Amino acid sequence: MEKRLSKRALSLKASPIQELSHLAQRCNAINLAEGFPDFPAPPAIKDAAIAAIRADFNQYRHVQAICDYLAYTLKLTQGLDVDPKKNIAICCGQSEAFAAAILAVVDEGDEVLLLDPAYETYEACITMAGGTPVYVALNPPCWTLELEKLILAFTPRTKAIVLNSPHNPTGKVFSKDELTVIAELCCRMHCIAITDEVYEHITFGSAVHISLASLPGMLERTIITSSISKTYSVTGWRVGWAIAPVEIASAIRNIHVKLTDSAPAPFQEAALTALQSVPEYFESLRMEYNERRDFMVDLLNRVGFKVHFKPQGAVFVFAELPETCAMSDVEYVAKLITVAGIAAVPGCGFFHTREKLSRQESSQSILDPVSRPESMGWCEGSHTLKDYRNRYIRFAYCKSKATLMAAADKLNKCNGLLVLHEI
Amino acid sequence: MQSRGVALREAIISSPALPFSEGLKPKPHICKLNKPWVRTIMASAVSTANSEQVAVKAQEPPPLQVSRRLEKFKTTIFTQMSILAVKHGAVNLGQGFPNFDGPEFVKEAAIKAIREGKNQYARGYGVPELNSAVAARFKKDTGLTVDPEKEVTVTSGCTEAIAATMLGLINPGDEVIIFSPFYDSYQATLSMSDAKIKTVTLRPPDFAVPEKELREVFSENTRAILINTPHNPTGKMFSQKELELIASLCIENDALAFTDEVYDKLAFEAEHISMASLPGMYERTVTMNSLGKTFSLTGWKIGWAIAPPHLSWGVRQAHSYLTFSTSTPMQWASVAALQAPDSYYEELLKDYRAKKNILVDGLKTVGFKVYDSPGTYFVVVDHTPFGFDNDIAFCEHLIEKVGVVAIPTSVFYVDPNEGKNLVRFTFAKDEDTLKQAIERMKANLKR
Repeated sequence: MEKRLSKRALSLKASPIQELSHLAQRCNAINLAEGFPDFPAPPAIKDAAIAAIRADFNQYRHVQAICDYLAYTLKLTQGLDVDPKKNIAICCGQSEAFAAAILAVVDEGDEVLLLDPAYETYEACITMAGGTPVYVALNPPCWTLELEKLILAFTPRTKAIVLNSPHNPTGKVFSKDELTVIAELCCRMHCIAITDEVYEHITFGSAVHISLASLPGMLERTIITSSISKTYSVTGWRVGWAIAPVEIASAIRNIHVKLTDSAPAPFQEAALTALQSVPEYFESLRMEYNERRDFMVDLLNRVGFKVHFKPQGAVFVFAELPETCAMSDVEYVAKLITVAGIAAVPGCGFFHTREKLSRQESSQSILDPVSRPESMGWCEGSHTLKDYRNRYIRFAYCKSKATLMAAADKLNKCNGLLVLHEI
Repeated sequence: MQSRGVALREAIISSPALPFSEGLKPKPHICKLNKPWVRTIMASAVSTANSEQVAVKAQEPPPLQVSRRLEKFKTTIFTQMSILAVKHGAVNLGQGFPNFDGPEFVKEAAIKAIREGKNQYARGYGVPELNSAVAARFKKDTGLTVDPEKEVTVTSGCTEAIAATMLGLINPGDEVIIFSPFYDSYQATLSMSDAKIKTVTLRPPDFAVPEKELREVFSENTRAILINTPHNPTGKMFSQKELELIASLCIENDALAFTDEVYDKLAFEAEHISMASLPGMYERTVTMNSLGKTFSLTGWKIGWAIAPPHLSWGVRQAHSYLTFSTSTPMQWASVAALQAPDSYYEELLKDYRAKKNILVDGLKTVGFKVYDSPGTYFVVVDHTPFGFDNDIAFCEHLIEKVGVVAIPTSVFYVDPNEGKNLVRFTFAKDEDTLKQAIERMKANLKR
């Protein structure tokens, strides 16, 4: 009965990240793969949810005050003016906000630019809407954006560009300069921008989260998507939003209503409490994650990984296997799970371009920037073992100190077994 | 001679507005850009034709577009009516959610889950315990045994189950049959899938399935048929005979059946029958349901789709990219809910029956022609005794001059004309509210 499946469903594959999580569960591995916390959510926010359930906020609901608060915060942090009644749609998580945004603006045949490495879900939403994902590779080791590559990726069919900052999986926070370039191009090419800013409150050191929408000419062509999940450690509550120009926000709202009708009501109420957290909450959030980042980077360096790029935000370290390690990322992670009892994510699932490190080898591919994602399945599509797209591992550090210490312990013990230094 | 495209590209790169301009020089191999698309895109951005003086002049930007599939989408009628209702202080018997709350034991289960830290991403297709509870309930209701791991998918409400089913199993151009009147998300998600919608109208007084019309519309090109039983807005419950007719057509034409059974526990006058339990149907049916109506927790958004593995696959794929996963604490609470004893459902029915009697008797006294509603918590009535041209005009009058909200049913039809004599009331309200509404109508609604 496979012919009973829609073409769209047939083109989608199961999430490699979720599959690995299942394997990790079966092996009882320490989960440094999926990006959700294993420490409790803030008590005040949980209490707010409980109070809401008790106070009978359990029917279909739209909590307008969330929009009011989001507008207020956007003004405060990014200097942007939006109308809480017209520019904001509450959705079931950033996941749904993004899906609805794509369904709202992408027509059959439209192209959407994505920066590689990219979170796997974007492509699937675009494909589901009948659009074509087009990948522009960020350059390792520091994931810099090359202007020429970006320009070359535009075609008359380019409808939108997706920007995820702070970035999953690299932890990069796009700088003002980079955002300026992207903004310029969007304006000149009449392109819509869709941003995923779920890690907006997790930045370190001098890295500052800047919304692309705050750049000149961008407010009228940007859809911001975000949620409470990562900021308040409640990834299972499903409350997110889209902030967009009036017609698009309205379309997103209408789509959301047809997709799910409303976001869970008691958690909308709790979200309101969360959004009103004092500045100290965000300070401590940053501090806690900063410590964990440092711990993780240090650990990975000691064990032999090449951490070229210290994450500036988000909750992941994207580390490269050393040249001395003969394994691919998939092979390494399998060993990591079964031998060391730790789960992480092989980076190949995030890479979609055919471009290789060396330009001389691949002048053809530079001239042909439209990289159609082949059905990558489980990390097919790379041609050489030393291709960087098979050499990165993503480690999540949004875990309790106990978990991270236990992981460190295991890694240290298994150091030799993991043959990082063998040829 | 450089092509216009290359020259423009150089101009963009060397434009002083771009911060990278100083470091960048066009490299020789890139100058071989002569692809037609490059010229086209650059040409469209340039307003002067002079290749020596290539200036990127900003043209009038095209209006921001919303995709074509949504051109018909507007704010729903429910929202519009609710806004009017608040404005006029009207008693709201329009939107179908209770104004009383869900049972304590289910709420406490959610609170317990939150306290126990069950606040992170649940497994995409459902918390295992909930999948099992759904399968167990399905077995109790239909006698069918399903594999909770492969055949049950948890979604954000039945609304999302419907969206995921349409997006996961329907190809652009596929013919899908729906019965008018229909819940508005069906048409919306079908048009998002670019399906060709075919409709068969159910007509008063008993809203029976018109066999001749159905046979005319059902063909080998039919990909699926959507059945909502018990039916919103009419309250109709598809009979064994009607389901057998539809089943035979499905099997004959190798079509799928999608069923929306959210009101299955609100079956007053007849027994609820699941299409999936008919011979030959399980393998081609997606059965959808939810927690909200049965447990008066419509805002929790816990629903599910039950289907054989080859169909569940498509539903799961779409679901994973629509919402990724469903609210975790609520899923745990749903496990407790679905394990409720039979007495819960008996009480529920008894409670709603009393409410139904108040409303139906009251509406009859006021002067409506009231149609029998065997299931759901809705009743449709003919408003024409009161002299209005159409349902929307009647509903507006009802809100503004009488202070009661009903839903105009024309929005539930492909051809609105077919529904203009009918309006829908809900009795999912506490008894005082229902009585108040009836009093207002008695006082202010005259033939």
